[in-house]
Amino acid sequence: MAMPMRRTLLVLHQATLRSLKNAETSLDVRYPVPLFLPVRTKKRYFIPPAVRMKDRRSLEDKAKTAALAYRQQYFERPINISCTAGIFDAYVPPEGDARLSTLSKEGLKQRTEQMRQSATSQLAIRKIKEHDPHFVTKEFAAKAQEIFIEAHNALAQFNKEKLHSLVTERCYPEMTRGNRYKTIRWTFVESLEPPKVVHARCPDMVTKGNLYGQLTVRMHSKQTLAIYDRFGRLLLGSEEQPKDVLEYLVIERHLVNPYGRWRLHGKIVPSWAPAKDPIVKTVMIPGPDLKPSDEFDALNYKVPTPEAVQWHK
Amino acid sequence: MAAAATGRGIGFIRNLSGLFHSRLSGVVGGPQQLSCLHTSTPLETKNWERNNLIVYPPQLADEPRRPAEIYHSRRQIKYSKDKMWYLAKMIQGMSIDGAIAQLEFNDKKGAKIMREVLLEAQEKAVKNHNVEYKSNLYVAESYTGKGRYLKRLRIHGRGMFGIMDRVYCHYFVKLVEGSPPKTEEKMSFDQAKDYVQTLKNRTIIHSL
Repeated sequence: MAMPMRRTLLVLHQATLRSLKNAETSLDVRYPVPLFLPVRTKKRYFIPPAVRMKDRRSLEDKAKTAALAYRQQYFERPINISCTAGIFDAYVPPEGDARLSTLSKEGLKQRTEQMRQSATSQLAIRKIKEHDPHFVTKEFAAKAQEIFIEAHNALAQFNKEKLHSLVTERCYPEMTRGNRYKTIRWTFVESLEPPKVVHARCPDMVTKGNLYGQLTVRMHSKQTLAIYDRFGRLLLGSEEQPKDVLEYLVIERHLVNPYGRWRLHGKIVPSWAPAKDPIVKTVMIPGPDLKPSDEFDALNYKVPTPEAVQWHK
Repeated sequence: MAAAATGRGIGFIRNLSGLFHSRLSGVVGGPQQLSCLHTSTPLETKNWERNNLIVYPPQLADEPRRPAEIYHSRRQIKYSKDKMWYLAKMIQGMSIDGAIAQLEFNDKKGAKIMREVLLEAQEKAVKNHNVEYKSNLYVAESYTGKGRYLKRLRIHGRGMFGIMDRVYCHYFVKLVEGSPPKTEEKMSFDQAKDYVQTLKNRTIIHSL
């Protein structure tokens, strides 16, 4: 009731002001309020506020009037310099490693070959010793195994901060991808052979002095692994049955950085590695692309398997 | 406006799912429960999809295998929730293959959309939720909800206006692994017998 009155009053007020201006009087003289209102000015419709003329201004202008500070958008991509992006000059594990017993002739030959490390590895170890005077190759292998065990325990409990301190930024997403809605149970049973440093490289990135040290450690151990899916059902492995695992770990450190630490950088999987156990699930493999006239020969169809090459993870 | 609202909602839920890392048996994060303030309005929360994020602890060997549950939904479907309700209740309790087949040959507009949603849910189940056989699913829950309506003017004669609603609805579906449960159909004669029995079981208290 007050609104229509006010509106008509305003209109009257403006009309009188205009007439007053024409009459050359500068003072605001207010005419008395009329006792009755004309009925035709009553509002008879209702337009919901959602349908009325909306603000046609852009989002930025509205934010400015609302005094909201819009953060500047950076079209940048973060890069990490505390670790390298891969494994340089990867170690190629000799075929049949840990298959032949030490007592046979081939086993002895393998052992002697392994004892003699290549010259580049020796150079790399010398460079590492320059930057870290307390570095001893023999002790380092045991330390590497400790790092490995701690990192995997942190992965099983999913302790993010601890995992980041034990594992490089390149290795972290590879370790944790797809694990968020799964439960992992991992235990280290025992070590079958003492760990050994088999390979060393010291690549320098971008500038000449920016050294990173990468050491490959060979580990033969017994571990148990069991992965459960979101509903607590077993996906892979078993908790009781341990497995013998031969692994080639790559540990990296940013040598020039005084706060750099030796962290797990990746693993090397040789081309002759045995196939992993299948998961406890039947999976549909997409069939070949056939033309409408072709027939699918299920008996002679070979399931495509990946080729056996060395890859590092 | 509706698009902007849903965009804000999606950003919100992404932040929430980043903070929300539930590794306990279905326990929701503490701070949200403890606060006495409404931190999220019913319009923005995507609680149905959040059910997909609960992680159960590993089962022991003697427990029966827990069936997988997949929650899926589609928001702001341009259809009436009352019209969609008929289809939703039609497929409730069916196996997924049966439901998809029935919706394929249904003439309603909502049937086509519902079929797409079911196929999406089936694919998600196989890919993300470790369901072994894609046909081994059944529709456990299926219902519709009201979406965010747009209001428009409906012009009548004599300068009269009406406010028209452009209706939108949400559709929610829950797929469970396994064969659909068999509903016991009670015969009318048995129902009548039970009724008579309840009448006969009545006792008069405080009587002589």
